[in-house]
Amino acid sequence: MKKIEDIIESGTLELYVTGALSQREAMEVEDILEEYPEVKREVEKIEAALMNLSYDDSFTIPNSVWEGVLNSIQGVRKLNVPKKSTNWSMMTGWAAAIVFLLGIFWMLKENNTLENQVRVTSTQNAVLKGKVSTTEEALASSQELLDIIRSKDYREINLPGNVAVSPESYAKVYYNDKDKIAYIDARGLPTPPSGKVYQVWSLIMDPLTPRSVGLLDNYESTDTKVFKLENIPDPEAFGITLEPEGGSESPTLNQLYTLGMVSP
Amino acid sequence: MNQPDELIFEMQQGSEKAFSQLYEMYSRAIYSVIHVILRDDEVTEEVLQDVFVKVWKNANSYSVEKGRFYTWLLNIARNTAIDKTRSKSFKNSNKNLSTDNFVYVIGGHNDLNEKTDAIGIQKFVDKLKPLCIKLLDLLYFKGYTQTETAEALETPLGTIKTRARNCIKDLRKLTLQEV
Repeated sequence: MKKIEDIIESGTLELYVTGALSQREAMEVEDILEEYPEVKREVEKIEAALMNLSYDDSFTIPNSVWEGVLNSIQGVRKLNVPKKSTNWSMMTGWAAAIVFLLGIFWMLKENNTLENQVRVTSTQNAVLKGKVSTTEEALASSQELLDIIRSKDYREINLPGNVAVSPESYAKVYYNDKDKIAYIDARGLPTPPSGKVYQVWSLIMDPLTPRSVGLLDNYESTDTKVFKLENIPDPEAFGITLEPEGGSESPTLNQLYTLGMVSP
Repeated sequence: MNQPDELIFEMQQGSEKAFSQLYEMYSRAIYSVIHVILRDDEVTEEVLQDVFVKVWKNANSYSVEKGRFYTWLLNIARNTAIDKTRSKSFKNSNKNLSTDNFVYVIGGHNDLNEKTDAIGIQKFVDKLKPLCIKLLDLLYFKGYTQTETAEALETPLGTIKTRARNCIKDLRKLTLQEV
């Protein structure tokens, strides 16, 4: 204990605190401090006395010093940077993100709508293409038909309705006596009942000699109601009767719908 | 005072909160040391800021086994302040700065500096012996070694410790109300 007293009274500890000892001496003091708490307490008192040399309640260091320290160690992250500006940039960021997301959703929706429209349109397109080709075919055949019946080789023969059987009915025959071809326009005839078919006859009047020239098969499914018949013998008249399916050897005269004379 | 080893450790681990508490505890004493060397409020604040930035950056170079935290702070503060006195800008604005720093407060001058009074040194300085003031100036404020102090005071090396002991004893009576 004598040794401890000596060290305390020597003034070594005072120089230790002010940092005036050599490194070797300072290390010796460290060892003693670790071992003897009363020496450590003495050091603490010396330190406190020196620190209190500047003690004064009325004096305060401006806050700007500490703020400056913080700014230096953090960059310009905290403290002096007004919170407002941080919030603004954050809010701007969020706003931009929201606008961006809304934009994306809108574009996705828009894209979906457009894709649907494309699908619908391409379907419509296909349908229209089909219709066009059908119409083109129809037009071509109509054109062909028109060309034929307009040509000088064909004569038009009207077949008015038989007043006794079907006064509303009528038919037209376009007849080419050179090629023995006739086109029968049967649009003016009623649709035949099932199991029945229209049969076309060429007639010699005196004596009355009917000869079958053909059946108007598939009447219902033929849109134009124009039928082409060939190998027509030189007729004086054309008649159309309603016969059982497959046709008859001779015309059933009480079912004679239309009859027309070939003008000489 | 009791050294807050735990706060120091936390600061070394990067805790700004611990660092701010250490600043609260030590900044005023360090301020006065810097102010005695530089004698200018604005420059002192500037250097104090530099000192604590250095403390943060070099926190891991301190270890509890190698001495007092306050002694470590003192060294950084004195070196930074003395570096400042050598800088061009400081020399230009303080051409008349005399070298006998701490003593200027009582060194026969009648124009006692109000600013120095404001940092609290004055009230103790009046009651300390002139030799004690000189010792504190060299050892505490200027960071002289034992040998340098002996040379400066033209006294035998062996007397410095005894004189320091007696001087700081007086200071303890004044500041800690010890009897």
